[in-house]
Amino acid sequence: MSIVLDVIAPRLLGPAVMVAAAIIVKGYTDVGDGFSAGVIVALAISLRYITFGPRRAELSLPILRHAPVVAAGGLLLALAVGFLPVVAGDPPFTHRPGPGEDVVKLGTLELISAVAFDIGVFLLVCGVLVTLVHQLARLVEGPDG
Amino acid sequence: MCRPDGRTTVKPPGGGVLAWAAVTGAFAGFVVCLVGWLAGGGSVDVAWAPTLDLRLDLALDGLGALYALLATGIGTVVFAYGAAYLPLHLEHEERPATEGRRFWPWMTLFMVSMVGLACSRDLILLFVFFDLTAVASYFLIGFDRNRREARGAALMALLVTGISAVALLLGAVLLYNAYGTFSLPELFERARGDTTTAIACALIAVAALAKSAQVPLHFWLPRAMAAPTPVSAYLHSAAMVAAGVLVLGRVHPLLALSQAVLDGLLVVGLASIVVGGLLALAQDELKQILAHSTISQYGYVVALYGVGGAAGAGAAALYVVTHAIAKSALFMTAGAVTMATEESRLSHLGGLARRMPVLAAASAVAAATLAALPLTLGFFKDELFFAAARGRGTLVTVMAVVAAALTFAYIGRFWFGLFTGRRRADPHAIPVLLVAPVVLLAAIALAGGFVVGPFAGLAGDAAAVTHGAAVDVSPAYHLDARTENVMAVAAWALGAVFLLVPRACAAVAGAVARAGDTLGPRHWYGVALRALNVYSDRLHDAEVRDLRNSIAAVLVPTGVLTALGFVFTPTEDSFSVGSVALEDVPIIVLLVLCVAASFTVVRDPGRLRPVLALSVLGFALAAVYAVAGAPDVALVAVLVETIFTLVFVGVFSRLPQPRRRVAEGRGRRNLMAGIVAGIAAFAAIWATLSRTSPASGDAAEQIARARDAHGGDVVTVILADFRGLDTMVEITVLAVAVVGVASLLSRGRSW
Repeated sequence: MSIVLDVIAPRLLGPAVMVAAAIIVKGYTDVGDGFSAGVIVALAISLRYITFGPRRAELSLPILRHAPVVAAGGLLLALAVGFLPVVAGDPPFTHRPGPGEDVVKLGTLELISAVAFDIGVFLLVCGVLVTLVHQLARLVEGPDG
Repeated sequence: MCRPDGRTTVKPPGGGVLAWAAVTGAFAGFVVCLVGWLAGGGSVDVAWAPTLDLRLDLALDGLGALYALLATGIGTVVFAYGAAYLPLHLEHEERPATEGRRFWPWMTLFMVSMVGLACSRDLILLFVFFDLTAVASYFLIGFDRNRREARGAALMALLVTGISAVALLLGAVLLYNAYGTFSLPELFERARGDTTTAIACALIAVAALAKSAQVPLHFWLPRAMAAPTPVSAYLHSAAMVAAGVLVLGRVHPLLALSQAVLDGLLVVGLASIVVGGLLALAQDELKQILAHSTISQYGYVVALYGVGGAAGAGAAALYVVTHAIAKSALFMTAGAVTMATEESRLSHLGGLARRMPVLAAASAVAAATLAALPLTLGFFKDELFFAAARGRGTLVTVMAVVAAALTFAYIGRFWFGLFTGRRRADPHAIPVLLVAPVVLLAAIALAGGFVVGPFAGLAGDAAAVTHGAAVDVSPAYHLDARTENVMAVAAWALGAVFLLVPRACAAVAGAVARAGDTLGPRHWYGVALRALNVYSDRLHDAEVRDLRNSIAAVLVPTGVLTALGFVFTPTEDSFSVGSVALEDVPIIVLLVLCVAASFTVVRDPGRLRPVLALSVLGFALAAVYAVAGAPDVALVAVLVETIFTLVFVGVFSRLPQPRRRVAEGRGRRNLMAGIVAGIAAFAAIWATLSRTSPASGDAAEQIARARDAHGGDVVTVILADFRGLDTMVEITVLAVAVVGVASLLSRGRSW
């Protein structure tokens, strides 16, 4: 691969995570949601796979091997946020605070349960895509490649 | 065995912790169910998706308590047996003891779904638990997955019970259509005896009968004997097969609206008794005898539900309890004998009573219970059965006696063949835990023969749910010549005759078995499955033969559907030509870009450039969204297009270099197809864009409400709040897709 790509790709992950975080934080008031954020992070990681090759990419970022766990965690988080209200007798996906109540804000971030659901979606999408990239890369390169 | 000699040590139950956790869980469940029943039951009703009329409606009423107590009680005993059996089984199959981890979670799920099924009072919930038992049974029957017949048996059980379970869903939807509810108590109030109800009930009955292995869908059950013995014992007595009659008992007030459905049940039940009983006489393998006996025994229950009324409901409930106790004990006997002697055929066994006296005595009680001898709980089940049958006329009365005689004959053949006569195989010692459960169940059956009160009480409570009114179940010994007693004596006498002329019996039973093998439903199952396989292979071959076919498989149906849309919608206002305003200029520029990109896709001989040109189309679409004021959609479109392009490039870089030589006729045909497709797409899009739909009421309301939900971005609010459940389902699909890819590419390892 070209030198430009070699230099840029590894440095792109930080900004990508930053953008994703921004999208989630602003998500409820501005454009973007957990899905877009997840795809952005996964794209940055895929770029590393392309430039470094699967083996080096996974060695340089050992955290990647937890991707399936991240995906499962995201699914569980989303399920929990969605269905906890059922325990309280409300329909599923009743978010707190309800209409008309005050929202606690940390800067732009609004503390609503819907944002937690969005984070669950983010984790799931990110984990799923990285796992898929890993599987496909293994298929292409062979288990040791 | 109970007298361990020098060379054996009683092994600690391996795979141990999990097994004993399952036993403890089952026992805790049993205690909870028992206390719950004694305290008068209880119910939970959560309308968790009210717009879809889906409810979590569980009630521990009489019927629920009966089956839940069976599932957990028999579960406790069978699980304890399994804790000793499974390590031996795995050792015998030369598999590591850790494979037990694949066994106990499914066994526990089996029990939990059975308890859930017992307590459901909502048709959809009933369907879900019904299918859960089928899924659990699939993995349990196929537990010895390196054995081909185990895999085939598991698939057969899943197909037969799973496909017929769809009939249950169909029936539920029919009833919902007619009466507007899935809730059974509400249906009981609203339902009338019209044709729709009768058809729905018949459909539900079909699902239940397949599950309970009734003729002609009985053939999966004997095959399912490929499962390890604890699975068979549980599946036959308290789980899977019992689930069918449980559903019949649960929806019986609906079934009772149509005499035709009841008559159908009676006929199927009686046929199953005879077919199952005759085939049981013809079998040589221990577990096969018991499997066919199960078909016959549940035939009794189905026939009793067909008889209906208070007598039928009460007799059916007591029958299920008695049969569960006796049958699980007999299965565990067969498993223990096979473990001790390594023989599983009646013709290779015999005379074991001297070497295994405790097992012989305990299983004698179990066999006597099934054969309805006095001083066991079994006597009362037949007493009630005879009483109910007597109310339905002479023919049914005679059939009842023949049925009881058949039961007496095959179970006598089983026990006498096993424990008396010449000894053909030498048993070695086996763990105490393989015998103790049989003894415990035999003790219960014997106790029931003296103190029938608690069992009758439980059966009465269950029958009250089935019948829809209080039912008095009060069996007792009567030392007089009443009809029930005469019928019982006649049945024993006839059964003894069957036993004394084994040759004649074997000849008749063998003939029936052979006829069934060549003409029976199992043969047709095989034919149908093979035909489906061939057809599916052909379809698959045609689709994947070349890229053109794969694409055609998607595009041709799409084209046909679109064409149908043109035929069935009025086209007067379509195809209007609008005006071009200044703000449309960016779109026109993008269009020009698209046209140029399209030419590159078609004309360029390479691979990379066409792919990149294709992605130009996608990005242009994203740009249109951005221009048209849908930034959310634009963002997603850009991201998705990027991924597509990456995947495309990645895949194409692995393909061999293209050979762009198109055959002479092919080229012209492709050109024609392209032109036709282009014109059709143009017409469809033009027609769509000509009809500017006003913003739907939904959208306006959602925009207005977004503020209430504390959101500034309507799209995000819709995704996370208004349509949160949809999003949940969609992301679950993603997770399922990853599991699919992992199992296809790396045998289920996710990383």
